[in-house]
Amino acid sequence: MRQLFLSRLLSVAPILFAVSLFTFLLTRMTATDPVVQILGPGASAADRAEYAHKLGLDRPLVEQFFRWLGDALRGDLGSSLYTALPVAPTLADGVSVTLTLAIAGMLLALLIGIPLGIWGAVRHGSWADRLLSTIVSLGLAVPSIWLALLLSLAFAVELQWFQVVGYTPFAQDPLEWARGLVLPAIALSVHTASVIARQMRSAMIDVLRSPYVHALRARGLPQRLIISRYAIRNAMVPVLSVMAIQMSVLVGASIAVERIFAIPALGTLLVDSVVRGDFPVLQGAVVVIATIVLAVNLATDIGYGLINPKVRAN
Amino acid sequence: MSDVATLPPVHSAAPDDNARLPRKSPWRLLSRPFALLPASFLLLVLVCAVGAPWIAPHDPFTPAIRHRLEAPGATYWLGTDDLGRDMLSRLIFGARTALLASFESVGIGLAAGVSLGLLAGYVGGWLDRVAMRLADVMQSIPAVLLALALIGVLGKGLGNAMLAVGLIFAVSFLRITRAVVLAEREQLYVDAARVLGLRPAAIMLRQILPNVSGPLIVQASISLGTALLIEAMLSFLGVGADSTQVSWGSMLETARQFQSEQPLLPVVPGLAITLTVLSFNLLGDTLRDALLPGGASQTRTAVRLPAGTAATAAADADAPTPADTLLELRQLSVRAAVGGGEAELLSQVSLHLRRGEVLGLVGESGCGKSMTANAILGLLPRGAQIAGGSVRLGGTELVGLPEEALRHIRGRRIGMVFQDPNAALSPVHTIGTQLCDIVRAHSKLNHAQALARAVELLDLVGVPDPARRLQDYPHQFSGGMAQRVVIAGALACEPELLIADEPTTALDVTIQAQVLDLLADLRQRLGMSVLLITHDLGVVADLCDRVAVMYAGQIVETGSVQETLTAPRHPYTAALLDAMPRGRADARLSTIAGRVPPAWAWPHGCRFHPRCAHAVAACAQQPVALEDGVRCIRADELRNARTPIDIREVAA
Repeated sequence: MRQLFLSRLLSVAPILFAVSLFTFLLTRMTATDPVVQILGPGASAADRAEYAHKLGLDRPLVEQFFRWLGDALRGDLGSSLYTALPVAPTLADGVSVTLTLAIAGMLLALLIGIPLGIWGAVRHGSWADRLLSTIVSLGLAVPSIWLALLLSLAFAVELQWFQVVGYTPFAQDPLEWARGLVLPAIALSVHTASVIARQMRSAMIDVLRSPYVHALRARGLPQRLIISRYAIRNAMVPVLSVMAIQMSVLVGASIAVERIFAIPALGTLLVDSVVRGDFPVLQGAVVVIATIVLAVNLATDIGYGLINPKVRAN
Repeated sequence: MSDVATLPPVHSAAPDDNARLPRKSPWRLLSRPFALLPASFLLLVLVCAVGAPWIAPHDPFTPAIRHRLEAPGATYWLGTDDLGRDMLSRLIFGARTALLASFESVGIGLAAGVSLGLLAGYVGGWLDRVAMRLADVMQSIPAVLLALALIGVLGKGLGNAMLAVGLIFAVSFLRITRAVVLAEREQLYVDAARVLGLRPAAIMLRQILPNVSGPLIVQASISLGTALLIEAMLSFLGVGADSTQVSWGSMLETARQFQSEQPLLPVVPGLAITLTVLSFNLLGDTLRDALLPGGASQTRTAVRLPAGTAATAAADADAPTPADTLLELRQLSVRAAVGGGEAELLSQVSLHLRRGEVLGLVGESGCGKSMTANAILGLLPRGAQIAGGSVRLGGTELVGLPEEALRHIRGRRIGMVFQDPNAALSPVHTIGTQLCDIVRAHSKLNHAQALARAVELLDLVGVPDPARRLQDYPHQFSGGMAQRVVIAGALACEPELLIADEPTTALDVTIQAQVLDLLADLRQRLGMSVLLITHDLGVVADLCDRVAVMYAGQIVETGSVQETLTAPRHPYTAALLDAMPRGRADARLSTIAGRVPPAWAWPHGCRFHPRCAHAVAACAQQPVALEDGVRCIRADELRNARTPIDIREVAA
């Protein structure tokens, strides 16, 4: 198990390096010069050269990259070109809120998707299963931003059960914090819940047709026990890999959903930096999110090991 | 099920035309109304996209502040937005942006992914490693985030946004293409083409592209929907479509700002996105069914059933069964829904098994041997059901017994051993858990007592160090040891009857003998009756007292092992014996031409006659009854023509 963890950890390192290099080159390939962006087109050549020197932009690209990477490893992602604030703490605030939303969405999606998938598989072929499949198809097609709009219109604007906009930090008021998460989490979870329900259903159907389930039936085990102890655990193996991909989808979707509930998080930060060309923020955000996605993948691999003894042994 | 290991090699005889399911064709999906719905909706979207300037009733761009945020009415069917622009016209123009964005990104993804996948798969080596690493990198960044980053670098605009999305799609296209190329590369015909002097590029295009197109089309269709969702999200964030384009996503952004004034604003663009994505997805599902193997359409295909399936005369003479009979099957028939019709999987199967007796059930795969075992246990596959007859176990009628009562017979009175021991054990649970659950399903033992019983069982079947091995998972057992564990599970409640379904087929030859010895030993020690399903007549000669030969869902011959194997009366039994390797190395092996037809195409008359060397015209006329233990109208004639076989040659 420890070996599995270490080997996975080692395989993540080159990917992270490549992501850093990729985003670094991307931001340096741009036609817009950050110095012109900041000082304006009217600045003198001397001023520009001085400012470029100050930002280290006159150095060779390789040196710039490794300096950035070295700083990044120490937790310093540079400063915003606009607010001059250090990127790392700003990002940390945004990312933590976005991640909270994504995790809340994921938990809700698991809570809805897994039982629905099991339900559909057990009643495979019945009208209830067909109804479920139809709902799942719809859930896959509904844009989360639209759901968020409709939810805020119905429950926040009309019924006023929830506040329309804003975000209460956990430390300030845990209850309000949780209330604020409800609508965005629902909006985010529908797509993921559908993906999980579909995956769980088909995995369960496969498992229920497998020789070992047939064997358990031939041994006279009650259906309830076969499903609760054997089928679900076996079906969870393929569902785990879907969860890892969905975590990345949820982070992406939450960038847009945040805007509807006016939650100040990664979305606002990113859109602002895209519009302004604030490269240090953009670069930092991509690397930080990629790190998180890779960490989730790593956790999934560990989860595989916990569920599937074969992986553990290899 | 796949008991082909020692079966006669099959001649490549021309397959029955009516035994073949129709070939899959993409055009068939046109005949399905459910597939037409999404297709026609997408056509509507396409028409809107192409003909927007002519179809739209108003100019979607010019503001008319006087009419701002109007509700739907006679002039503006779907109302107006914050600048007084017609929502219907904007919706129609939005179809342009939607389709353009979807097709652009999927087009980029296909072009980049397929070409890279072809190269990576075909060239291999460092190029393959770099490509796969690149794929890992792309997949570690959320699509929306990468799109935002690219827009940040290249500037705002739909083209750049969709370029980013296309690059992300390229990853899945690359993986699909590469996997197919890797598989096809090993195929003989690529090598053959290389020998013929085709250049590698030509090989790739001509041989591999047709194979990869099915999965690619399905993936592309689903990606179109995903692309639309991402486009809507980016336009909503204000970095996608610009002010010269109308996007359903930016219409949602307008709705966000003004929905408290006009709550109808979000309804229309949201519906448009949902329905379009839904149509792309449903189209993808339909294409998957139609183009990929294992798709659902296979089972939906209507199959013409021959008229004579049910016409087996009920003339099978049921011999009276001995008093100490444990298991008795009388006229057991199993039918299943196949396509549009029904097929008879088992036709009036009658057999009996005395206490302490071992009965061999033999035949090629597809003859209904395993189906018989499943019918006894009441565990028929979906769609199959017992259509008539009876199964009696020690005086209890099992057909029609409620599920809960049957459950107590399974495992407690009937133990079952399966062909592939590793497939018959849950891979993610320990042996201890699995054995304990079996014990506890039929007894009131607590966990500790059940564990002790499990140790006892493993010891009984000869698994060394049983207490420690309880914590092991199935993959930690060798095939032979795993089969011992499965046998232990079958013996958990000391059953009267053990059904062993090809218990040695999946095992190494050296292990086979050990497992057979174990079964013989256990049967003696525990006094069980055994129904041994096998295709190996050697095993029958070694282990069984009596034998029943099955062909095409019927018993064709029964009798003592001695009689049946030395003087077979049915040509099928004789053919099986001829196809067996026996002592003499110089003897030429004969084979049975053709193969067992599928259940919906059992031949009329004697079901074996199309493959029988002794068939005459009369054989195809009438269903043949089982008389005096043999189902053949020429049995008596043929008996005299055959030289007897020395049973010692059959027993290995």
